[in-house]
Amino acid sequence: MPQFESHFFSSLIFWEVVSFAILFFVLYKYAFPGILGMLEEREKKIKDSLDQAEQHRSEAERRLKDYEAKLSAAGKEAEAILAAAKERAQRLLDENEQRMTTEAERIKGDATRAIEQERRRAIQDIRTQTTDLALMVAEKVVQRSLTDTDHRKFADDALDALSKSYQR
Amino acid sequence: MEDNPLHPFELHDWIPIALGGLDISINKAVIFMWIAVSLAAVVMIMAGSSRKLVPGKLQNLAEIMVDFIRTMIMETMGKEGMRFFPFIGTLFVFILFCNLLGMIPGSYTVTSQIAVTAVFAFVVYGISLVVGFMLHGVKFLGVLIPPGTPGWLVPLMIPIEIMSQLARPISLAVRLFANMTAGHVLLGVLFGMAISGGLLIGWLPFVFTVGINVLEVGIAFIQAYIFTMLSCVYLGDAFHLHGHDDHAH
Repeated sequence: MPQFESHFFSSLIFWEVVSFAILFFVLYKYAFPGILGMLEEREKKIKDSLDQAEQHRSEAERRLKDYEAKLSAAGKEAEAILAAAKERAQRLLDENEQRMTTEAERIKGDATRAIEQERRRAIQDIRTQTTDLALMVAEKVVQRSLTDTDHRKFADDALDALSKSYQR
Repeated sequence: MEDNPLHPFELHDWIPIALGGLDISINKAVIFMWIAVSLAAVVMIMAGSSRKLVPGKLQNLAEIMVDFIRTMIMETMGKEGMRFFPFIGTLFVFILFCNLLGMIPGSYTVTSQIAVTAVFAFVVYGISLVVGFMLHGVKFLGVLIPPGTPGWLVPLMIPIEIMSQLARPISLAVRLFANMTAGHVLLGVLFGMAISGGLLIGWLPFVFTVGINVLEVGIAFIQAYIFTMLSCVYLGDAFHLHGHDDHAH
């Protein structure tokens, strides 16, 4: 095989070492740092973008929670206001009713008392008139005059007897 | 001459040079080594200097290559292995460009020279030994006794392990050299058949030649990968003495 001709080994090995050393130096100095740096930069950029996206997401989530909390607080507040209004209305209604009832009772009581008073007076009037009438009748019947005090006494006795018999 | 499929591997001194008794004459292999190195340098520098966040074709290619080497080092050696990135990276680029340049008809495949592959293999193995002894001292000789070896087997294991250690650089060198040589010999034989077969039957080996050529481009990549991958594994062994223990933890 031509590859085993040792005559060429020394030159091949020499130039291989030299070429490799030059390539190593050139790549080490001018190629690898740039490419590796670029790769790292891109990786960092992607990672940063992902981190940022994650941050935005959590921020949005936080805000959503915030709004939800606010919304539910507002709902609760509205409910409380509504309940308070309802309660106040009920109270006013109750108060009104009570006042009306009291007023009505008072009016009824007044009326009852006035009626009673009128009744008493009427009874008194009837009694007085009846007495006078009876006296007149009796005078005519008896044809004699009695003292005024006697008249009254007789009349009253008669009336008492009458009313008693009537009550019985 | 044309019938000999090994003819393309023959070298001739084109410019005889001697350096203090050392023959460093320029031949076809040396010229193509220079071309490969120049191409590699130009491509990599151009890719490295265009630092765009959204890469172009060349930058993308170089970045894929660099990322590929970086991943390989990370997986076999871990983060501290990145100190070897320039060496491993240059090794990969050098072998890949030599392999690919050899695919051009009429060119010379530098990596089909056993001397060239052997130098790489022994340098890699030598570095792994130096690293191993620097990191672990005499304990690095423990690579000769695999973990879990029963005491009575030790006298047997040490010679076997020495053999396997010696086989590392030799297999590394022979694998690349043999793959590159075999591929080109096969192509040469098939193409010779295509020429001598004439139009009537010669088209068949010619179709094979085209197919094998595509395959050989793949092999150029794969062999560059295998060579650097095994280099990483050997260096990784030197880093992590009995690496399997480390992984188990």
